[in-house]
Amino acid sequence: MLLRHEGFRSLCLARDLLRHVREPSPSVADVARQVGISPFHFIRQFEAVFGVTPHQFRIQVRLDAAKRLLANGHSVTDVCMEVGCSSLGTFSALFTRRVGESPSAYQRRVVELSRLGGSAPNGLAPGCLSLMNSLTVGSNRSFREA
Amino acid sequence: MRIKLTSIMVDDQSKALRFYTDVLGFKKKHDVPVGEFRWITVISPDGPEDLELALEPNANPAGRTFQEAMFSQGIPIAAFEVTDIAREFSQLSARGVVFTRQPTQAGPVTLAVFSDTCGNLIQLYQPAGQAV
Repeated sequence: MLLRHEGFRSLCLARDLLRHVREPSPSVADVARQVGISPFHFIRQFEAVFGVTPHQFRIQVRLDAAKRLLANGHSVTDVCMEVGCSSLGTFSALFTRRVGESPSAYQRRVVELSRLGGSAPNGLAPGCLSLMNSLTVGSNRSFREA
Repeated sequence: MRIKLTSIMVDDQSKALRFYTDVLGFKKKHDVPVGEFRWITVISPDGPEDLELALEPNANPAGRTFQEAMFSQGIPIAAFEVTDIAREFSQLSARGVVFTRQPTQAGPVTLAVFSDTCGNLIQLYQPAGQAV
């Protein structure tokens, strides 16, 4: 599919609009309307360009924001409100399903990591190539042999 | 000093590995778990075997801001050389890839630009005089 300049700009704008996690946040249909694309085409095009549906994208944005706030020591209840979730139960279930551990377990682990590291938890935001630091001797060997 | 490794930031490493292998046709070389991320590299089936592209997690907010700004400005973050850009364009389009620029002659090369579904625009280029 070839996306013309205007269509491309609309999708980039939509992505910015979907980043607003604090209530009242616009619905996917609201965003489609704002950028002037029918909801059907909007969802299809957004997924083709960004690899996730607008709805999935918004969930991901909220979870990323939640992780940052939890890492900075905010309470689970505060974080839940801050990322626009009205129910603590729903938030915790969603977080656990996507992240693999509950918000409080995540917070304990991250805070401990950053205490041990003495600074910001590097492992949470690696500069990528810094991941090479953490490879084991075995994986380094496979580098040479590969 | 040699250039053997370069990297590209991706918003989701699993999605990126699928796209760069299943859709673009690169081969997975390394996939090593590192904490909550992975060290993933791919190589081109057309070689060379020892020139790797790392799919790096874009978890750093500063990196994400940079990546999103470049994307919104329509600026490709990497470029891959191809021998038949018209064929790549039609094959990738058939696989659902979205192009923001169809193959266009630009001086000594023909260029096309597509979204890698992981937050980046990628440029394909075919040098003039390459077989078609």
